This record gives sequence, structure tokens and C-alpha cells, in this order.
Amino acid sequence: MSGTENRTPLIRLAKRSEMPPRTIWAIRVASIIVALILGCIPMILTGNSPIEAYGVILKGSVSRPIYLKQTIKIAIPLLGCALAIAPCFKMRFWNIGAEGQITMGAVAATYFALFWVGKVPHVALLAIMFLAGAVAGGIWGLIPAYFKARWNTNETLFTLMMNYIAIGIVAWLQGGPWEGRKGSQLIPMFNDAARLPQVFGVHCGWIIVLVLVVIMHIYMTRTKQGYEIAVIGDSVNTARYAGMNVGWIIMRTMFISGAICGIVGFIIVSGANFTLYKGVANGVGFTSITVAWLSQLNSFAMIVISMILAILEKGANTLQTRMQVPASIADIITGILLFCMLSCEFFINYSLIFRHKVKEEAKA
Amino acid sequence: MRKITFVLIALLLFSGFVFASGSSEAAAPSDPNTVKVGLLCIGDENDQGYTYNFIRGRDEATEMLAADGITVEWVTKYNIGEDATCTDANIEAAEEGCQIIINNSYGFEPFMLEVVDEYPEIEFISCTNCASAFDGRDNTHNAFANIYEGRYIAGVVAGLKLQQMIDNGEIAPEEAVIGYVGAYSFAEVISGFTSYFLGARSVCPSVTMKVSFVGSWSDATAESDAALALADAGCVMISQHSDNTTPATAAQSRGVFHTGYNNDMTGIAPAASLISTRIDWAIYFYEAIKAYVNGEEIPQDWCKGMADGAVVMTPLNEAIAAPGTAEKVAEVEAAIADGSIQVFDTSTFTVGGETLTHAFALDTDGDFTADSEEAVFDGAFHESLFQSAPYFTVQIDGIEWLNAAY
Repeated sequence: MSGTENRTPLIRLAKRSEMPPRTIWAIRVASIIVALILGCIPMILTGNSPIEAYGVILKGSVSRPIYLKQTIKIAIPLLGCALAIAPCFKMRFWNIGAEGQITMGAVAATYFALFWVGKVPHVALLAIMFLAGAVAGGIWGLIPAYFKARWNTNETLFTLMMNYIAIGIVAWLQGGPWEGRKGSQLIPMFNDAARLPQVFGVHCGWIIVLVLVVIMHIYMTRTKQGYEIAVIGDSVNTARYAGMNVGWIIMRTMFISGAICGIVGFIIVSGANFTLYKGVANGVGFTSITVAWLSQLNSFAMIVISMILAILEKGANTLQTRMQVPASIADIITGILLFCMLSCEFFINYSLIFRHKVKEEAKA
Repeated sequence: MRKITFVLIALLLFSGFVFASGSSEAAAPSDPNTVKVGLLCIGDENDQGYTYNFIRGRDEATEMLAADGITVEWVTKYNIGEDATCTDANIEAAEEGCQIIINNSYGFEPFMLEVVDEYPEIEFISCTNCASAFDGRDNTHNAFANIYEGRYIAGVVAGLKLQQMIDNGEIAPEEAVIGYVGAYSFAEVISGFTSYFLGARSVCPSVTMKVSFVGSWSDATAESDAALALADAGCVMISQHSDNTTPATAAQSRGVFHTGYNNDMTGIAPAASLISTRIDWAIYFYEAIKAYVNGEEIPQDWCKGMADGAVVMTPLNEAIAAPGTAEKVAEVEAAIADGSIQVFDTSTFTVGGETLTHAFALDTDGDFTADSEEAVFDGAFHESLFQSAPYFTVQIDGIEWLNAAY
């Protein structure tokens, strides 16, 4: 009896059975409250009032039309990129190369913005940039997918390394062939013809990503290809047994994923930055992983989650301006919030079982 | 789906509440003698160099203005990138009620210009850049100082030290090699190291120079590595055009000498650093803010030099400088102020063995190549005369570029 007891670890993980939705949402709300309370600690340590600070975060991100516009501008690439990586994650293909795919999309779009301006009309130029971004991002995503399908290489490392290559290419372009004033390391700003028009005060990239939300939702839930992705995610062997060409599906899905990232890259350079530099993706490719995970790969939930993260980012910026809080404190608070939200998903799916608890259960 | 709708509605309600509560603390001050000024910085004070120098100028200007009865409320933002975050920072500062917004880095200007037309009543200043004079806007301004004058004098200090080492037999005349850590092969940097070199050669005829570009305005590690490599390649004097103090500490660790930029570095490297030169931004901040409060125009393109106190030398490290340096510095300073020394005197240098007779100053058609305003006349290249930002980009004999890729 005692022998078996000792072999039981102190803490075990067990997959939970289905919880009622009400409980799940209660846990999620509780995790946010815990995060907000924990977030007070760094503020108090730096001598600021937490309530005032949270007020500044909210006011600084949504209290005026211009702030709301800035917040939406931050949310657009987050949402677009989360949509892009969702099918890969559904397939359990860990694409952490969105950063590079965005960058390559931006490079391709920038090429046409710099060298085709004046040769084609405004709308045509934007359409060309859109397509170029999609193709370049898609190809950048296709490369690791091909290696995965052909030789079963590790896609996590492969896609990650592709990021640095893409960023290196931009650094070279910035200081080399596309440089503006000699030695400045700056690529000239785009001509007006290569800029996305504004709709309701925000560049029309928001319309593009909202259309993508609907398309992606339909693609994932209503099409044969979306079903294939789900089957591969559950079990590659089942997919094979069902006669699916797994390698082909991986490559196809990664091309779509990379293409959407490339479109996001186009939206960033043409709608927000108006130029290209090596930080063009600005961590969006990584932050959007959080967006995709928190929204359980649900396209519509991504809208909400990306807005929440954008509010935090914009608010943290105002926090730095108004209360002279170091930017890193704002990052810490964001980190705490994300940590709590992600770990609550863990506790929704798994329960911890302690050894003595098992013993009591056994006695009973 | 229902859950999401619920969350959306909750968010909407919440934002409605925030809208209703308004925000009063972000308004511009109503008192005419109080002015709210934004200062957007590429780094923070911890660089002890470039941004520190701006913060110092900010604080001194605040005191000078307070003596005139003008109160300045500063909104300072640190660690802003030369990218779209700079556009956002300018919007942020404008919305916080700043009446003047100062951008402290060269690469900020194109991103600042994206915002300026939205806020015609706010004055935007881009330090060290050059678009304002030609962009046809009233609310954009540029400012820089004749830092090449200070660099020339720092070069004189370095040259005297090198000549002393030659005279004492510590090095052979041809071993008087300066190593220069530059950010990019960019006009401001080229102008800076050329004036420095000419200053050194005016008192040490055998001096030569190697320039290493690090590819960043501010990268403490790369600056240190470049300085160490230069010292290992035989350079016995290190100088820099980059934002950090690491070239000074690197020079000290290799037992060679150093002259700095932006800040007095003799405290951090007492056995190596001889002197530094810096721009005193307080002079400009004082003039610009005072003009604004008095309802006058802020100059479109401001540029002053040593004669006006806009460029200053930090205290000389008497313990290690060559004897007689202080007297020589005072003499050269006076000569620059009265015009009897021209820093870029064309009789003191050659380009490919020839005397420089022609160089354009300004680029007017936007192709990034200078195409108008002859800068060479009366026996000298006239730097910062046609615009505040430096435009000397000539590679003169005696200076070796180790890596021109940047």
C-alpha cells in the first residue's frame, strides 16, 4: 500500500472533463481581476497610485477619438496576424515566423511603392502592392513548410530563423540600395499614391482585416480545406488513413498563412508607417500568437482580444507620458495580464491533483 | 457567439463611461507665461551622452526662462525609435497639450512631418535635420550648432598630446594614428571627424586617422568593440561620434587616449579622456521658447557656434593633457570666433591629391545629392552656412575609412 503511495507524485495533472460555460467564464473574469491586482504591485513599488494609473491607461487609449484611432491602428496588424497563424496552430504546425512573413510582405509592397509610383494609377498601385505582399509573405511561409513536408524538419526553429533573415534583408536595403539621404539609414517616405486611404479617420486596413475575419471563419468552419486542417491537427495518422495528402495540405496552409501575414505587412507600410525599416513587424508576429491562443483560434474573439491588447499598449504609452512611469513598468503590467489570462486557460483544461487528496478519495 | 456579443457590449459600455468622464489634465496651460513643451528623445539620460546632453539643456533652459518669469512644463518621452513610433509620440505629445514639440534625433524628422499638418498651431522642431527651410510650412523648424568648431578644438587637444608623445620618443611620428568611432558614413559624422582631424593635424603634422563606422547612433557594445579594435590596430588616440561613453572606457582599458562628445568623460575614464565638446542646447531652447512666449517667430533654421556659447568645451583633463594645451585652446577658440581660423580652410587639406575647389551644399530636388549653393569660396569650405545641418561629405586625404558600408 505504502509503495504505491510513494510512487504517486506530489502533484499530478489531469485533463478536466467539460466544465459548464458559466464556470469557464467566471474563471476567465477572475483571472483578469487577479492580473489587475498583481499589476498594482509594480505601480506601488514605483510610487504611483494604481487606480490613477489604470485610469490613465483607459483614458489614454479610448477617451478621445484620436486616441481610439491610434488604438485601432495598433489592433489592425495584431488581428490580421492572429488570423494568419490560426490555421497553422489548428493544424499543430507551430508557425512562429509571422514576423518574417510580415516583413517580406512589407518588402515586396515597398518595392512597388518606391519604384512603380507614377507608372500606374493609385488604386492599381495599391492592388499590386497588396498582391505582391501576399505572394512574398506566402513564399516566405512556404519555404519552411516545404522542408517540413519533404524532410520533416522542425518548423518552430525553421520559421524562427527565417525571421532573422527577413529582418537582415531589410537592414541591408535600409543602408544600401533603397537608402534615401546617404548615410541616413532611412528609406524615403512613400508618395501619397502608395498610401492606403483613410475611412473614418483610420487607414482602410481595418476593413481589409474585418473582411479577412469573416473569410477565415468561413474557411475554417465551412470548407473541406478547413476540415482537413482540423483533422491533421487532431491526428496526422487519421488524416493519412483518410487519404489526405498531409504534406500538400501543410504547404497550402502555410502559404495561406504567410500570404495573410504578407498582407498585414502591406497594410503596415502603406497604411501606418509609410516607409520600410527593419522593425516593421515590431513584435506583432509574436504578440499575435497570444491573441490567437487567448481567443481559442476563434476569428471573432480575436477582434476583442486584439483590441484589449491594443488598449494596453496605447494606454501604457500614455502612462509613460503622463506619469513618467518607465516604459518597462508598463510592459511588466502587460506581461502579468497575459500570464494570468494564459494560465487560466491552462487551469480550465487541466486540474491539479495533490497526493493526499488522492489518499482521502481512496479512503472514501 | 453570444459570449462575444456580451463582451463587446460590456466593452462599449465601459468605453462610453470613460468618454463621459473626459480628461481635463491634458489641456494646454492657459497662463500666457506658462508654456508646455514636448521633448522626444531617442535614448534616456543613462546614455551619459547624446540624450543626457539634451536633458541637461532642457533643465538649464528651464532655469534661464524662470529668471525671465516664464514657466515651462516639460513632457519628456524617452527611448523612441526612428520609426513610426515617433509619429505616434508626436501625436501623443500634441494631444497632451504641448505647444512646442522638440524631436531630438535626425531620423525623427520624416515621421514628425507626417503629423505637423494636423496641428498647424503647434510648433514642431527637429534637431540636427534639414527639411524645414524648404518645406514651405511655418510650424516646422530645424536647429543645430556648429559642432565642427568644438571638434576642431578637441582635435587640437588630441594633436598636442600626440606631438608630446612624439617629442618624448614614446611613439614614432608615423605612429601618431587616431581611431575614430563613427555612427554612419553620414554628412554630420564626416564633417565631424574631418574637422577633428584637421584640428589635430594643425599641431601634429604627421597624424593620420582611421574611421570605423558602427552602424548605429547608439550601441554601447558595438562602440566599445570598434574602439578596442582601433586601439589594437595601433591607434593611440580614440575619438567618437556616437552616443555612449564606452569608447572612453575602451580607450582607458587599452592604455590609449580619448576625446569625447556630448558629455565630460574624464570622470568615467580619468586616465584616458582629455576633453569633450558638446552642444549647449540650453541656448537654443531658451531662444526658441522665449520667442514663442513673446509671440515671435521661432527661427526656421537655427544655427549658432562657439561665439554664442552654443558649442562648448568640457573641462580639460589637466593631469594628462600636454603642457600648454589650455593656452592653445583659448587661442584657437578666439581665432575661430573672430574668423581668423577657418576650420575647413582648403589650403590645409587635399582630396585625391588636389585642392578642393567645388562642393555643393544643398539638395533642392529631393534626390539626396547636393545640387546647389557653392560651399567652397574665399579659400574655405563653409560648413553649416546654407543650412544648420552639416553638409561636408568629402573624403579627404589622410583619413582612412575602414568600413564604408554604413
